[in-house]
Amino acid sequence: MNATHHLSALAIVLPLVCAFLMPLFDRWRRGWCTPAALGALGFSFAASAAMAWQVMTAGPFYYRMGNWPPPWGIELYVDYLAVFTALTMTGVSLVILVYATKDLLHELKPGLLGWYYTLYLLLIASMVGMALTNDIFNLFVFVEICAIAACGIISIKATKECLEAAFKYLVLSALGSGCLLLAIALLYMVTGHLNFTFISQALPEAMRLYPNNILAALALLLVGMGVKAALFPLHVWLPDAHSSAPSPSSAVLSGLVIKIYAVALLKLLYQVFPPGIFEATPVLTILLWMSTMAIIAGSMFAIVQEDIKKMLAYSSVAQIGYVFMGFAIVDPSALTGGILHVFNHAMMKAMLFLAAGAFIYCTGVRRLSDLKGIGHTMPIPAAAFTIGALAMVGIPLTNGFISKWYLVLGALHGGQPVFASVILLSSLLNGVYYLPIIVNAFFGEPQGRVAEPRPLPRQMQVPLVVLGVGCLLFGLFPSLILGLASRASQALLGL
Amino acid sequence: MGMATSFLPVWIVMFPMVMTLVIYYVEQHNERMRNALAVATSVVTFLSVLSLYPYIMAGNIVEYSMFQLLPNLEISFRVDILSFSLALLSSFVWMLVSIYSIDYMCKEHGCNRYYPVLIITLASCMGIFLAGDLFTLFVFFELMSLISYVLVVHEESLEALRAGYKYLIMTIIGGLALFFGIIITFELGGSVSLGGPALITVPSSLAFFAFISFLIGFGMKAGMFPLHVWLPDAHPVAPSPASALLSGIMLKTGAYGLLRVIFHIFTPGMLQDAGWMIILAVVAIITILLGSAVAITQDDLKRRLAYSSVGQMGYILLGMSILTERAIIGNIFHIFSHAFMKSTLFLAAGAIILKTGKRSIRELGGIGRQMPFTMFAFTLAALSMIGIPPLSGFLSKWTLSLGAMDAGLPYFVLVLLVSSLLNGLYYLPIIIAAFFGAEEGHEHGLVKISEAPYKMLIPIAILAVSCLLFGLLPTNLPFDLSRVAADYLLRGGF
Amino acid sequence: MNITEILLRLHQNSYYFFAIILFVIGFHTMLTHNNLIKKVIGMNIMDTAIFLFFVSIGYIRGGRAPILVPGADYLYVNPLPSALILTGIVVAVSITAYALSLIVKLYEHYGTVDAEEIMRLRGGETL
Repeated sequence: MNATHHLSALAIVLPLVCAFLMPLFDRWRRGWCTPAALGALGFSFAASAAMAWQVMTAGPFYYRMGNWPPPWGIELYVDYLAVFTALTMTGVSLVILVYATKDLLHELKPGLLGWYYTLYLLLIASMVGMALTNDIFNLFVFVEICAIAACGIISIKATKECLEAAFKYLVLSALGSGCLLLAIALLYMVTGHLNFTFISQALPEAMRLYPNNILAALALLLVGMGVKAALFPLHVWLPDAHSSAPSPSSAVLSGLVIKIYAVALLKLLYQVFPPGIFEATPVLTILLWMSTMAIIAGSMFAIVQEDIKKMLAYSSVAQIGYVFMGFAIVDPSALTGGILHVFNHAMMKAMLFLAAGAFIYCTGVRRLSDLKGIGHTMPIPAAAFTIGALAMVGIPLTNGFISKWYLVLGALHGGQPVFASVILLSSLLNGVYYLPIIVNAFFGEPQGRVAEPRPLPRQMQVPLVVLGVGCLLFGLFPSLILGLASRASQALLGL
Repeated sequence: MGMATSFLPVWIVMFPMVMTLVIYYVEQHNERMRNALAVATSVVTFLSVLSLYPYIMAGNIVEYSMFQLLPNLEISFRVDILSFSLALLSSFVWMLVSIYSIDYMCKEHGCNRYYPVLIITLASCMGIFLAGDLFTLFVFFELMSLISYVLVVHEESLEALRAGYKYLIMTIIGGLALFFGIIITFELGGSVSLGGPALITVPSSLAFFAFISFLIGFGMKAGMFPLHVWLPDAHPVAPSPASALLSGIMLKTGAYGLLRVIFHIFTPGMLQDAGWMIILAVVAIITILLGSAVAITQDDLKRRLAYSSVGQMGYILLGMSILTERAIIGNIFHIFSHAFMKSTLFLAAGAIILKTGKRSIRELGGIGRQMPFTMFAFTLAALSMIGIPPLSGFLSKWTLSLGAMDAGLPYFVLVLLVSSLLNGLYYLPIIIAAFFGAEEGHEHGLVKISEAPYKMLIPIAILAVSCLLFGLLPTNLPFDLSRVAADYLLRGGF
Repeated sequence: MNITEILLRLHQNSYYFFAIILFVIGFHTMLTHNNLIKKVIGMNIMDTAIFLFFVSIGYIRGGRAPILVPGADYLYVNPLPSALILTGIVVAVSITAYALSLIVKLYEHYGTVDAEEIMRLRGGETL
């Protein structure tokens, strides 16, 4: 076990420890809060990168917490999917945090910044934990931490809308957690294990003896993770929560948090359940149609929105559908596309929310029709928004195109051209609601507050530029991340 | 063939792109410099394309692979005779239009937006014609379509924005259809290269979807019925030089794409055996008749020209659907002659609008006496449109008709004749009124209207003379190029 | 399978049976009641039901507490589920506390804990 292996645990533990130091810093050394938070996330990101290097060069590895061997100890499994997800989560959240350091001063009441960092670091640590863990109860614990922290970064802005949205999110999230825990209980009941590897070894035999338990567990998992990932029609909490929260929270919730549950479900479906389950039950077909509905309905709802953040939130409902669709078409290309979309959409949607946040920060305007001419007065956020929107539509040379290419190719290859056409239809719908905003932003005379925005601080400009360049960079040179995604999909499919 | 030559296609595409940035930087400080740079860029691009002439005519194909995006999916360039012909044509017309723009645009707002967009559109247009695979073509096609939106809505009037919205939505639909077609091709053929053997040779339902997708994607751009709806709205609202490019050149990218699809993705034989070409033939005929007939009812001069473009694109599509050698020659030659004719017409219309501010045909009585030079060029191009010998429009229609007769389809000739008649019906009244009609506006006192500045007249003159020359001379460059290109497409060699 | 057999089975699995009934009650309360406090109570019932279910997995009839004395060899219950459920209880308590504090704040803003009423005050969307 070399030093890199320990990084897998440290990538989770360091942000967790830092999270609880934040209130102390906030009290006695206020100036330390921001550097410490950035440092913790930066470390996590670097650790993820080092793990990615290790995995790409030497293959996946297991890490035993406290050196307790499974099935007694908790185990981390650092494979392609795990490092891919960890890299996405830490990388994008780091960029968002840079933005948040300035934006939150404006959005939150004074004195709350340290507490926000606590919640934020908890959230990221739990997401990295979900990505890496190989233990189903440990997964549940991280899910719960993630749920509370996610609600927390909404309700920390104690306006009426935020409180209400946070409560709605909390109730539905608790419901999802309940389903998840019951599913875990059912699986533990028939296998006697909590470790993924051991469960998956015991399941084929258990499947023969107690098929009903496993079916019930599967259904509960689907509902539990579906609620948390806002898979249509379980998405009702998302639009309010993501639109009322402070912009950095929206970015991290829409960009990352809903994705991590999709990834967790993917891990459970492909790594824990025996392949025979897909033939025995129509679980993938159900997922496929739910994601189709999500894609169409999410886009439809987004078209009629007037509030910029609400529109982006509904767009996320549609985009999570892409991810699930990639997971549910059993084809290496589609799975690669789905995994890749986790990363690509994280970048795009984070950028879009941050750009929307910049508009709101500088002008206070949220209504789409009032953003006329914003491209003239705020060129950088408007340009970032444009790149994000083009990537959403899937214009070539943006990263959205790459994931769309793999998804459609996978749908065709998997013999399901219907879903290829669903993706195309949804791209058209994306165009219908994103492009008029861009046109409106660049053609037309700015009026009112849009004409004279307050200047945008540099800490808020840099993340937008980084994400914008990232969207183009990964559109031009997708191989930077593609190797990881395609190996992840091959490993999951057992190729 | 040296290293320099194989790099030339990249240069032709990248040079205007880089110059766009330079122009964008320069224009903040110096407007005259901006205009000069824009013209210089288009001239250099034209000369660069021209410098390929000896290599291409010697039967060489220039290939250059830039970088690989995904496995088997790369940005690459490949110049064969067809690419070369169209790139030459486009850069030539572009050069003239950018010269014309200097005086036309000087009174318009937003010039600082216009010139960079003009040049980057040139770059993407070159990219389309020089693309070495379908994916590169698609990338530049999307780039051109999206960027030329800025040209369409240049006026920022309500009408322009509405037309622009329609254009944008149609562009996205077309782009998605192309994407679908390309990805099916990739799935079936394992590659999207245009250089190798045909990628789809066996008809299947998926292949049929691909064909229809390509037809929608490229046909949308080419103004094919029923996807032409954006065209008559979008072309007239743009500034006249931009309309000339939209109608004269950018429509042709759709036709070019379809040619590539028919000859390189599928094989003509397979398309004919499967009966899919009938679809193209039917929509082409409808496009011709519809475009010509609706043009008669239009009163706005530029709108009438735009509908005329729809009809003329129908000829090009028809030539493609016939697939005999002379039909293909006629088809490619018509791309040339229509580019010259329609650019002349739009630029002349622009000169008239600039000088008089009138767009309605009813108000244009007697304009020929005030702007004789402009109207003479207009007349020349209009007669060429109708197909009066010895103008270039006649030559292309003649060759197309011969091609149709070769294929044993005489009723296609009938369609061409009817459409020529309709062309006469909508072009001749303009000309007659312009030269012999009563002048309006005398009651408000005499407003002396003079000719446009010479920087506008020279491009008009060059284009109009081209219409005449390329019909008059039996061997001329465009016709030769069309002949060789058709030969290359049908037989895969020189 | 006759009625006595079914009853016998229910008796043998009564922990599971009642856990599921409780789960459904909690689930139903959580989703259908408008009173926010009742929603939280429903949530707790649901959680408790799951804890019951989980712990009873490890229970062995006649087993003793898993305190191992050297040399003694007797049946003891599986300690793992109980240990896990301790974590679960902690999580449930913290979520409850958090939800209640949100309700307090909501009450300050709206003067009611009724979801319908809050919806009406906001004018529109459902909570």
